[in-house]
Amino acid sequence: MRDQILAETFVELADTLVDDFDVVDFLHQVSMRCVKVLGVAAIGILLTDQRGRLQVMAASSERSRLLELFQIQTNQGPCAEAFHTGRAIAVPDLAEAADRWPRFTSHALNEGFVATHALPMRLRATVIGTLNLFHTEKGLLPEETLRVAQALADVATIGLLQARAIRHHETLAEQLQTALNSRVIIEQAKGVVAERHGLGMDEAFDRLRGAARSGSRRLSELARAVVEGTGRV
Amino acid sequence: MAAAVPLGSGSDRRAWAWTRVGLQSRGAPFGIQHVCAAAVDDVHVDGAAVTLMSSPSVWETLHATDETSMNLEDRQLDLGEGPTIDAFVHGGPVLVSDVDSPEARARWPIFVADASANGVRAMFALPVQVGAIRLGALNLHRSTPGSLNTDQISDALAFADAACALLLAEAEGGTHTGAADDIWHREDHSAHQGEVHQATGMVLVQLGVSAEIALSRLRAFAFRHGRPLGDVARDVVERRLRFNPDDEEAG
Repeated sequence: MRDQILAETFVELADTLVDDFDVVDFLHQVSMRCVKVLGVAAIGILLTDQRGRLQVMAASSERSRLLELFQIQTNQGPCAEAFHTGRAIAVPDLAEAADRWPRFTSHALNEGFVATHALPMRLRATVIGTLNLFHTEKGLLPEETLRVAQALADVATIGLLQARAIRHHETLAEQLQTALNSRVIIEQAKGVVAERHGLGMDEAFDRLRGAARSGSRRLSELARAVVEGTGRV
Repeated sequence: MAAAVPLGSGSDRRAWAWTRVGLQSRGAPFGIQHVCAAAVDDVHVDGAAVTLMSSPSVWETLHATDETSMNLEDRQLDLGEGPTIDAFVHGGPVLVSDVDSPEARARWPIFVADASANGVRAMFALPVQVGAIRLGALNLHRSTPGSLNTDQISDALAFADAACALLLAEAEGGTHTGAADDIWHREDHSAHQGEVHQATGMVLVQLGVSAEIALSRLRAFAFRHGRPLGDVARDVVERRLRFNPDDEEAG
């Protein structure tokens, strides 16, 4: 069963990469697919802002409390550690990690998560971010599942950076920074759509994404038009 | 496999950049000229300029450390091509380690010939922006070709952030003192940054203004009430606080 979902996932992601795709939308798809393939409760993708912090780029849900849980890990938490060490971090029981990351664990436990994994996103010898998995049951993921998770993290990295084009760290910086700013534009556009239609932030995101798809527009471009007042959703 | 290295880690570069800007201002109120001077010293370039842009053809150079910097800005505006314009349009940095490379010549044929004739060999344009709010760019140039290393890129980005913080503080209506801690505290350094951007979008609709003005109003409100920007943003997102176009004050 999982083999089939996995095959579908790679076909779908490969399809996306062929076109002139939108980075935020692509990473959102990766995180949705990860939830399905890996059987975990929630996923977040964080990237370095190259100034000493991690920023949330995508998540399996746009629920504000969940985004904050990822964002708290700017400098403390499993993601920060996976990023700084370049190694996968496994926390089979969050309650036992309270001394290590007090703010992160209390927030995670409040949201009903009891275990987590953080995997580094690497481009050759450089770590550019992390893939964060949350579970509602204690324990470690099986080795095989973790390998699949790392493969998905690698696909996300390749897609994000259009790796063939990355010859210099300058190109890397250009693409990373453009992607991070696109994410900020999406947040601003979520606010516009939420206020205009009386929606929650997760519904506002779905509405934006739906409008981009049905109008064959890139999500970030549509979001910019919405914030600048030249497009309506 | 060799140990993987995190990109742009270590201490928070933004705080470090402020310290460097402070050294340039020597106790005077912070200005764009101090950001430019710090960028020249710390990124090891020959000149820096900050240009305000409202479109690829409407802009004003606020400060340039040298004549070459000023000329580079003017020429791009005249010609309608160049790294600054691309940084503005694409919303990301444009880092040109060699203006004589075939890629650079193909991309900006007239401008790079001109820059090269004026002794410029590398140019780095960093957008000054917050999402869809595009304020302008910090532009650096050097008379020798070559890439910025990863630390220099981090520093250049942090100086662009400093320029952004300064311009946003000024947009609030001149209440800031120009002191480092004043401007620094107006930024939000917590985990609430997503909510600041969401609240900007909401206030934009509530007031019927641009995103830039919406963010200024949020920041000014937080400052007047002595509250962190992230907390005010959360109140807006959770619909406990609304901004009314008829009131100076939100609520």
